[in-house]
Amino acid sequence: MDAIRITNLVKKYGQKLAVENLSLAVRAGTMFGFLGPNGSGKSTTIGCMTGLLDATSGEIELLGQRFNADNAAIKRRIGVMPETLGLFEPLYAHEFLAFVARMFGLDEATTRLRVTELLEALELTDTSKTLSEYSTGMRKRVAFAAAVIHRPEVLFLDEPFESIDPAGVSLMKQWLRRFTEQGRTVFITSHVLETVERVCQEVAIITRPGKLVWQGDITALANDGAVVCNGQEFRALEPLFLHLTGERYTDLKWL
Amino acid sequence: MNIAPIGELVKLRYKLLWAKTRSRNGRIALFLAGYLLLVMLIALLASGGFGAAMLAVRSGKAEQIAQGVLAVLFLEAVLAANVLGFGMSAIFSETELRRYPLAAPERRMARHLTGILDPFWFLFLALQLGLAVGLYVMGAGSFWFGLIAVLLLFAANYLLARVVGLFIDQMMQRKGGAPVLLMLIMSLAFLPSVATPLMKKNPAILPAVVQRLQYTPPFGAAAAMIHPDAAGVYGLAIIVAWIAGLAALLVWLEKRPPRRQVAESVKIVWDSPFDRVGALFGPQMGPLVGHWLRFYGRNSRTRTLYLISLPLLAFLTWQTGQRMGPHSLLIAALGTFPMATFLGTSRISVNQFGYVGGAFRRYFLLPTDPAATLRAGSYAAVTIGASMLPIALLAWIVFVPYPFDPRMLLMLFCTGFTGLFVLNALGIWVTLFNPRKGNYNSNFGNDLSLGGNILLMGGMLIAMFLPRLLYKFQPALVSLESWWMFLPLPALALAFYLATLKSAGPVFVNRREKLLAIVEGRS
Repeated sequence: MDAIRITNLVKKYGQKLAVENLSLAVRAGTMFGFLGPNGSGKSTTIGCMTGLLDATSGEIELLGQRFNADNAAIKRRIGVMPETLGLFEPLYAHEFLAFVARMFGLDEATTRLRVTELLEALELTDTSKTLSEYSTGMRKRVAFAAAVIHRPEVLFLDEPFESIDPAGVSLMKQWLRRFTEQGRTVFITSHVLETVERVCQEVAIITRPGKLVWQGDITALANDGAVVCNGQEFRALEPLFLHLTGERYTDLKWL
Repeated sequence: MNIAPIGELVKLRYKLLWAKTRSRNGRIALFLAGYLLLVMLIALLASGGFGAAMLAVRSGKAEQIAQGVLAVLFLEAVLAANVLGFGMSAIFSETELRRYPLAAPERRMARHLTGILDPFWFLFLALQLGLAVGLYVMGAGSFWFGLIAVLLLFAANYLLARVVGLFIDQMMQRKGGAPVLLMLIMSLAFLPSVATPLMKKNPAILPAVVQRLQYTPPFGAAAAMIHPDAAGVYGLAIIVAWIAGLAALLVWLEKRPPRRQVAESVKIVWDSPFDRVGALFGPQMGPLVGHWLRFYGRNSRTRTLYLISLPLLAFLTWQTGQRMGPHSLLIAALGTFPMATFLGTSRISVNQFGYVGGAFRRYFLLPTDPAATLRAGSYAAVTIGASMLPIALLAWIVFVPYPFDPRMLLMLFCTGFTGLFVLNALGIWVTLFNPRKGNYNSNFGNDLSLGGNILLMGGMLIAMFLPRLLYKFQPALVSLESWWMFLPLPALALAFYLATLKSAGPVFVNRREKLLAIVEGRS
């Protein structure tokens, strides 16, 4: 069964095209990497898939049901860590997590237990600081905790590993692996291709403006194998990404 | 001192002012019109000052009138700068300026130059210049003495506004600072109501008070404008002394490390009053209302405005409650009570999402009707605003020298309640159609949008002058005997508020992408 299915998704901002006729499907229990250069429409696509943005046209199905911004029942089953983190800065971490937990319908006792456990596991026990006073990495940990606190079936993570220290990344990767082993789905965007290569089973690569250029299984890369694309063999994700997106290095002589 | 980058920063201040408008479609014309209006206003104020000068000379009391006009302008500038945040730009804070290759004195100079060269201060400068030129033209003063006096007074006025602003800011950050500040403001606000009867009983006090006031900048400036001799030089010296003192005080305040009020305890508190009050709104809305109550309650500007709203409005009631029959104070209070329930939360009420930044996205990820967020924010503002009503009524009973009459309380309750719901309903529309990205932690600067300013200031002016106009043209409508006519007002206001909530929900959802772009600073 597909946990996520997008069909002919188009998103325009006025006349500007941000996502062009994007279609993709993600199997349940998969760790799926959604890659693309800056400004290629990754966050816009996630915005449409999670109800923040209205798609101009196209269909989105999550967990087998048509999804739109008003579908609260589906929203209860998904977790999202947005690119901007979406933190209420004047709050303390426990207040923010408790608020999210209560909004997702967790009772008082479960809320307290899960907030305490998450804060300890993610080393966020300094409760004398508000979220605005946290470092970027700590803020990211809080946003990650908020995305998983209600034990969602599909998890959307927009650039989750950037700015987090190696220990934090290792912990998150372990959690995410266990998550998918239980049949739940993780949809990740990231620019850290080495990490994506190691944790994801499948990736989709888009280029500007939100146009799918490749989707495929990359499990072979984690086992020192290769991926074949357009008749060429790629042993790592980075050359494949550069090949597909056409990104190139520009030299500045004065620099 | 490296002057060139400081000049660039001042230019940047105006470029940013322009860019803010340019970035929104169709606003350029509005911006130009606004600036034309500003220029006209400056001309009008200058002619107003000129008119005051003519009156001063013709009445034969040139110095007294000049003293009065300058003192009122001086105090109003301090009040407007701190309460409404005009002329206190936070764009170039110390933290922001540290990015540039500037030494500490250069940063200080840049910060205050961008602060003083603000359109707001030019309005006051125009009035004062009008007065000085008027006095000169009417042959009652020296042009050069007047000009120097106005420029010095202008600098002293800015410095005092900054010192007051910083003092309030630092007091609010201290533990227990808020009540102390409240007592100070209350004392100042109620001073006129205590001093006036005292002076009436003992007229000899007045000359003594005036004698002391000679040592203040407005009186010093008035002396310099009228007397181009040793007395004028003495007046200028008084202002220079004030400038030196205020500048030293400002530097001292700026150098003091801010004291954090944040608890150092690591103990997690689960059962907060915000959540308890929020729970009154039911299991669905409770967490959201609790969240918004926390958002309002943690905002130091909201806390400051909430604390000073009562004394400020008491002062305005006393000031405007004159010459309107035996119940002048009641008529004035009918105009100030609607603001008492709105002023405290006004900054966020008219721009609910402007201070949440990227967290705005979170509202659409929650498994609830997105419009519930808008409603919950407004419920929180109404709850906080409503809490001021019993306090204001109690203050009325305690301080106002009228025999207790329940009709008065009922009339005031009705206007307070009406103001609460009408202004919060209008605030929702401004939130949706004219939001602006703001800094939640900033205590300085007027960061409201045009619509927010119009609602806040227009609402305040209409509320204050409507009872006065009614008294002039239909006095029966604001008399005690007409108390029953006030009864339908709260019901009408509540109906308007509920209708607004219902119709604003879909608008909020439809406009969410535009709102997102604005609150995240992309538009």
